[in-house]
Amino acid sequence: MKNLIYLSVIAIAGLLVDCASAPPAELINARQSYQHASMSQAATLVPADLHKAQVALEIAEKSFKDDPNSFQTRDLSYVADRKSKMAEALGTTAAENAATAKANLDFQATQTQILKKTKENLVNSENEAKIKSDQLATEHQARLDADKRAAKSQAELDTLATVKEEERGLVITLSGSVLFASDKSELLPAAQDRLNHVADALLTTKERKLTVEGYTDSQGSFSYNKDLSQRRADAVRSYLISRGYPDELIIANGIGEDSPVADNATAEGRADNRRVEIIVDHAPKI
Amino acid sequence: MKLINMAMLAGSILFAAVIAGCGSSVPLNKEASTSAIRTAEDVGAPNVPTASLYLQLAKEELENAKGLAEKGDKEEAESMLTRSQADAELAIALSHGDTDKKEAIKALERVRQLRQDNQLPQETGTL
Repeated sequence: MKNLIYLSVIAIAGLLVDCASAPPAELINARQSYQHASMSQAATLVPADLHKAQVALEIAEKSFKDDPNSFQTRDLSYVADRKSKMAEALGTTAAENAATAKANLDFQATQTQILKKTKENLVNSENEAKIKSDQLATEHQARLDADKRAAKSQAELDTLATVKEEERGLVITLSGSVLFASDKSELLPAAQDRLNHVADALLTTKERKLTVEGYTDSQGSFSYNKDLSQRRADAVRSYLISRGYPDELIIANGIGEDSPVADNATAEGRADNRRVEIIVDHAPKI
Repeated sequence: MKLINMAMLAGSILFAAVIAGCGSSVPLNKEASTSAIRTAEDVGAPNVPTASLYLQLAKEELENAKGLAEKGDKEEAESMLTRSQADAELAIALSHGDTDKKEAIKALERVRQLRQDNQLPQETGTL
């Protein structure tokens, strides 16, 4: 009986102690809030604010220890709870500010990257345009030079011989009396000089195929004239080859008295018929 | 007679104490609390849901503190003011946080748009 009374007293005392030491809801909330905040970004980003929350909680805990049921304990706990919440909010804000700062840096870096890329593209475009322009200028100059050379050749030929554009090509007609002595097929010294000029003009376009044709007047036998005209054509061909014209591009034909260009009944006409024609092919060698 | 005088003096003192203790308002320094509430309103706490809640609590606690002061509970009133101030300051922090979050979202979007417009790969960035 005595023991039972003793246990009851202990139990009642224990209950009283428990009731007295039960933390108020404000303190429970404050503890949870601080725990939550200390595991958030606040710990690394705003440690000073978290420390304030910790101090506030310690003050609340002390107050609870000294006077568990006082309004001071509840109010201090309430304030501690808010300070922990504030530390957590400030931590989040600091993280957002860091994200903003990083985004702004990214924006600037991206702008710089775009600017650099644009500049590179511009430089490349300018270089390409310049290369193209240079190519066009070179091609244009080459065309001008070729035209100039052709014009010069034509002009030179015009002064040395009769030059005509015909369907079969550019026909250069040299008078036979200037090139050969009567009934001969060796070039006269004066003829060589004239042929030198013709050869120089032809060498500027030596990719063209040439046909050298010899003609006579109608005096003498047909076969003799044919043979004489062939020998004269050969002589001119050989001379042009000796001046550097590719031999595979020159052929020689003796036409004889065929295809007269003037009347063989007169001395003037026969002189015109005695001739050598050099036909420059239209199509270049491929 | 002396005993009567003594009794009257004691009665007067007791009466004065009763007059002073019952229903007499005590001065209260509300400046820190009201200032924090005003700032919270200025930074837009009423428009931020979480902040507006704490702002409302701060106002209610300020009124509670006034009530306690009017009842003469100065110590309890001042303690109540610390709640009010803490809630108002939390409302301010949450308002700033909301503004900063919007700024961060805007800044990230600006970068994303710039990269998209210029056909550059997107970098991953979250809040």
